[in-house]
Amino acid sequence: MSAKIEAQRVGKRFGSVVALDSLSLEISAGEVFGLIGPNGAGKTTFIRILTGYWLASEGDVRVDGVSVTRQRFRVQARLGYACEQPKLYADHRVDTFLHFMAELRGLSGARLRGAVDLAVQRLGLEPVVRRHIGVLSKGFRQRVALAQAILHEPAVLVVDEPTVGLDPAQQIELRRILAGFKGQHTVILCTHQLHEAELLCDRVALLDAGRLAALATADEIKSGGSLEELFLAKVGSHHETAP
Amino acid sequence: MSFLPAAGVVMILVGVASYYATRSLHGFSTFSGANVAIGLALLLVGAVAQARRFRGFTGAESRRVVLRWTAILAGALALVVGIDVAARGITSRIDLTVDREYTLSPQTVALCQKLATLPGDKIEIVFFEDALLAKDVRLLVAAYADKCPAIETRDASRKAPPEAARDLYTTTATTVIACRGDLCDPVGYPSERNITSALLRLSRDRAIRVYFTVGHGEIDLASESDVGYAAVAALLRNQGMEPQALVGPAASEVPADADLVVIGAPERDLLPEELAVLERYLARGGRLLVLAGAGQHSNVYSELLPRWGLELGDGVVLDQAASPLLKDPTPVNLLVHLFAPYDPVTRNLSQRTMLLLPRARPVALGRKPTPDDRLEVAAFASQRAWVSQNLDRALAGAETAPPDGVAPGQVAVVATGRYGRGSAAAPAEARIVLIGDRDFAQNRLLESLYNRDLLLNAVRWLGSDEQGIALSDKGWTPNQDPLTLQQTVAYFYFLAFALPETLLLLGIFAWWRQRA
Amino acid sequence: MIRRLWALARKELRQLFASPIAYVVLTVYVALTGIYFFQHLVSYNQLLFVYQSEGLTAGGFDQGTVPSQINVLNEVFVPSADDFGLFLLVVLPLVTMRVFAEERANGTDELLLTSGLRPFEVALAKHGVTYFFVLLLLAGSAIYPAVVVLRAGLGFEHLVALYSGQLLYGCAVASIGLACSAFTSSQIVAAVLGYAIPFVLLDFAWLSNTVSESAAALLREVALLSHYGSFARGVIELRHVVYFAGITALGWLASVASLELSRAR
Repeated sequence: MSAKIEAQRVGKRFGSVVALDSLSLEISAGEVFGLIGPNGAGKTTFIRILTGYWLASEGDVRVDGVSVTRQRFRVQARLGYACEQPKLYADHRVDTFLHFMAELRGLSGARLRGAVDLAVQRLGLEPVVRRHIGVLSKGFRQRVALAQAILHEPAVLVVDEPTVGLDPAQQIELRRILAGFKGQHTVILCTHQLHEAELLCDRVALLDAGRLAALATADEIKSGGSLEELFLAKVGSHHETAP
Repeated sequence: MSFLPAAGVVMILVGVASYYATRSLHGFSTFSGANVAIGLALLLVGAVAQARRFRGFTGAESRRVVLRWTAILAGALALVVGIDVAARGITSRIDLTVDREYTLSPQTVALCQKLATLPGDKIEIVFFEDALLAKDVRLLVAAYADKCPAIETRDASRKAPPEAARDLYTTTATTVIACRGDLCDPVGYPSERNITSALLRLSRDRAIRVYFTVGHGEIDLASESDVGYAAVAALLRNQGMEPQALVGPAASEVPADADLVVIGAPERDLLPEELAVLERYLARGGRLLVLAGAGQHSNVYSELLPRWGLELGDGVVLDQAASPLLKDPTPVNLLVHLFAPYDPVTRNLSQRTMLLLPRARPVALGRKPTPDDRLEVAAFASQRAWVSQNLDRALAGAETAPPDGVAPGQVAVVATGRYGRGSAAAPAEARIVLIGDRDFAQNRLLESLYNRDLLLNAVRWLGSDEQGIALSDKGWTPNQDPLTLQQTVAYFYFLAFALPETLLLLGIFAWWRQRA
Repeated sequence: MIRRLWALARKELRQLFASPIAYVVLTVYVALTGIYFFQHLVSYNQLLFVYQSEGLTAGGFDQGTVPSQINVLNEVFVPSADDFGLFLLVVLPLVTMRVFAEERANGTDELLLTSGLRPFEVALAKHGVTYFFVLLLLAGSAIYPAVVVLRAGLGFEHLVALYSGQLLYGCAVASIGLACSAFTSSQIVAAVLGYAIPFVLLDFAWLSNTVSESAAALLREVALLSHYGSFARGVIELRHVVYFAGITALGWLASVASLELSRAR
């Protein structure tokens, strides 16, 4: 199950700071869509508006035609979100946490147990299922965050910087898991890892200073060189940090 | 949160907390006030600074959400305040006390309905909201306000009592008084029984008829001399009572309209027929006030009173404690300031209200006529008193210390008795007040100290007819001694320590699990 | 919705009792109430002893005649109830300070508010669990007084009246603390506000002497303690129930408003 997402002139201001400036996007159902950009580009802001956590200052985002601004609970019911720096309850065990999130998603009984088991299996959480989240490694915590996001088989899966801080082996494993979602959900992958976006995404949007700087398909990226070249061409070197 | 509002909140908190910590020493101190004032100022400045930093809402939808929720909160606050204000007028309550202490009995409610048709001045209940017992009594007064709309209830301050009550002596324990026109009745301990009794007294459609025995050397109500008792008659009339003479030899019965009979210190024996008349009067629930003078002998003291459990001693009470305070410092002039708590005759008298009883005789409790009768001593001389049998020496002031072999101690000078009598169909309560002195009521002394209050209390109590509405005391008798000291300590260790200890151990376990 | 609420409530309970703070608060409250009740009981025993002693029987007092107004209700129970109310004020902000503020500080509010939960459901579950904790506090502290007063023949109903009042009062104070927690991500700020507001509202005695009679009367109507006393005396008055329910509801609504308003930043 997947859904189409349309962002229409979405803007977000914090006082005089413009975080998003008239961003318009269309994400097809079943697509893996990448969002890249420098720090402060507005990626997480857009994600938070899409998930209904923040209100847009102007414009709207629609998921299969349902407005996030007006009917956010309907949208949230079809959306799974694994946020940046996973926000989890450290004093919960993995299984009780997943059980809890499944209940929040309206699952119950055998369906709930099945969903939890499937999520544990898909994310490879069997070795740690009875451990407290607070003692898990970063990699496993990311997996737990992803697991809770897919419990209810969402139409849209939003993943914000899933491989930040992971070692290479963990990154490879997580990418493998994300690749497995292709075709089953519409995936929005927000990442700093350009290579990751190249590998996983059907299309990539480059945000800069709250605006859409570029939008390219995987083929267009390959034919044009690399995502890194595109990034540098569009964003430029003025975002490089001073030595 | 910026610094200013945070500092403001902390200062307000410190100001208010310091007020509570020190208010027993003084009221609102400069330190507390300064903290609160500066804290409020900081909050205001912080709020203004925040408002100035506001750069508008971040979008149309944001504005809509903020305004909607501000309106919802404001509306909810207004609704809650409105409901609260409306609920003040609702008197619905559930009285879960064991004896339904705050629920008026049917007799009181019936009396209230009867009082609704009372002609003349209306009765009002004045509640002193700053009295010591105010918190305990407020609910009861509220019950009267709710169930007795014909009776006005109002709050007052002890610092500003009603005009008609200024003559009444009030202590910090005086919580309720009942008034009707110019007349106020000190309720005494503010229970339903006493308040309703006061209402009943004030609602009498006829004056209390007080009959005085005559013909045996009793006190002379017509005499205006210093040692006469005209002041007694005047006082009773001022209080709406009618003193009448009970002409002893001619009366075959105490008149039916007699509310009480006063035997004012007879110097001679009554005739046997007269004693019999009084006995019959008491047997049907009559009320008797007996005054006694030093050196007097009468069969009232030697025969009548002992049959009703009250003993009047010979001799005179001397007290070393009283004398230095008087112009005429002789031990025979008793300054009485020790009273039985909650006795109806001494109910509004305390250590700060004294009686002057010169030449008082000792009273004591004898054998009760029936086991259910209640006898009580109501007022005492101090611990340094004794009884002198040498009247001449004592009255001359020559005996200033107890003689050898006589130990000083508290000696009672006023006693009361309550006797359930009448018939099964018409139960009644006979009452007797025995005051071992007569001089306190003389014209020269009646207005001294609180002598007048003693006489009025006695007459009011004897003349009240709350038995007519058969209002019994609330049924619950508290077990006043639920635990001995040893049991208290045992319970304390077992429950007040063991339980917290268990909880703390559970907490340590939870902490350990968390760390593990 | 019920299932979601129940799941949330279980989560809150788990978090509450996974931390030692809840046990420390329970311990402190039960110990404080026990100690102060014991002090009142000892004083009362001493008063009984004085009345029944030799010194007062001279002059004709019947042996053992203690005025009926001197009893465990007036001398122990009612004064203790006032103490218990103050102790609730002292311990409850320690419990309420983390309820919303910790979620906000950890970012787990984002997890909850993007999972389809309504803000009012989140607030309802958190408030409900906190009120349950208030009930636990009262239950723990009730054992000792209950034993004493039942032996005194006071009646179970009277205990029900007292603890109904304490529960309503405790829920109102907790609700204020929760609302404070909802508007900040700092537990310290939440605790300070959770103390400040109820203390200011306690009885306004600190302000009554400086304002007019009518203003003082109005302040007394608003004060927390004015609505608390009658429960200890065994009477449940509807207007006091309405007062505490109103404060509790307002506190919950303020928590909901805070969660809704957090979207509008």
